[in-house]
Amino acid sequence: MPHSLPGERRLLVTWAILMVLTLLSLFGGQVLGEGRGEPLAWWSVALVLVATYYKARQILMIYLNLGASTPVWKGTLRAFLLVTLGLILGGYLLAAYSGG
Amino acid sequence: MDDQADSGWGPLSDLPGNPLMWVLILGELVVFAAFFGVYGIARAGEREVFDASQQLLDPLAGGINTMVLLTSGLFAALAIEARNRGDVRQCRRRLLAAMALGVVFCVVKVVEYWDKIGQGLTLETNTFFTFYYLLTGFHFAHVLFGLGLLALVLRYTSMANVETATAFWHMVDLIWIIMYPLLYLLR
Repeated sequence: MPHSLPGERRLLVTWAILMVLTLLSLFGGQVLGEGRGEPLAWWSVALVLVATYYKARQILMIYLNLGASTPVWKGTLRAFLLVTLGLILGGYLLAAYSGG
Repeated sequence: MDDQADSGWGPLSDLPGNPLMWVLILGELVVFAAFFGVYGIARAGEREVFDASQQLLDPLAGGINTMVLLTSGLFAALAIEARNRGDVRQCRRRLLAAMALGVVFCVVKVVEYWDKIGQGLTLETNTFFTFYYLLTGFHFAHVLFGLGLLALVLRYTSMANVETATAFWHMVDLIWIIMYPLLYLLR
């Protein structure tokens, strides 16, 4: 099935967005500075996961061009992404509250 | 692939590239998601071990590798644009750029492995490092396979082939995007 492509300009804008989101992840994860090694605050965890969701979504919809696919595929893959990140958040919360 | 052949794949025909590649991609995504879930359960049981071990990783190297893969993905997507307008030479140049960045990712990862093994941190050190080596090693194998596919379409540069190989490459990118915060950042 022929697909319309996102276009070079949109790809470059998407790449720039992905770079900014990656820097936000590094900031949220406190990769540099005094926070390195300390447990993350809730806002940091939220920032890292939200940035990850939007990065993954951009890859699926623009790089992989699923934006040109059917609503069913778009919805399925978005749902899959949310379930995967939900698993990661669930594991994180389990560790936070189980005292393991 | 013509429309008649495409229609035999049902909903998979609505995805870019060869539908069989999408069977592989969707299967791999489910497998990695299951691994991520198991990692979370294991971490809940040994949080202190996981958090202390995570501090021995280099999150900056992981972040740099994230940017390298995302830029590689950009060149892969740009290769499709070039192929779509019939510019095969430009398409090949962009595929080569995507591959070169894929090789950079591999080199950074090997340096990381070398450093960790040099510190005596191996697959058997503890549960965290078992997950670290298995998850990143499995992903690394996918990167190598993806590089092989991109090399193949440098020679057989039809639109369908380029779409198929780059779809796999973006899947490799996507998995790393999710794996990176899980292993390197969240604590």
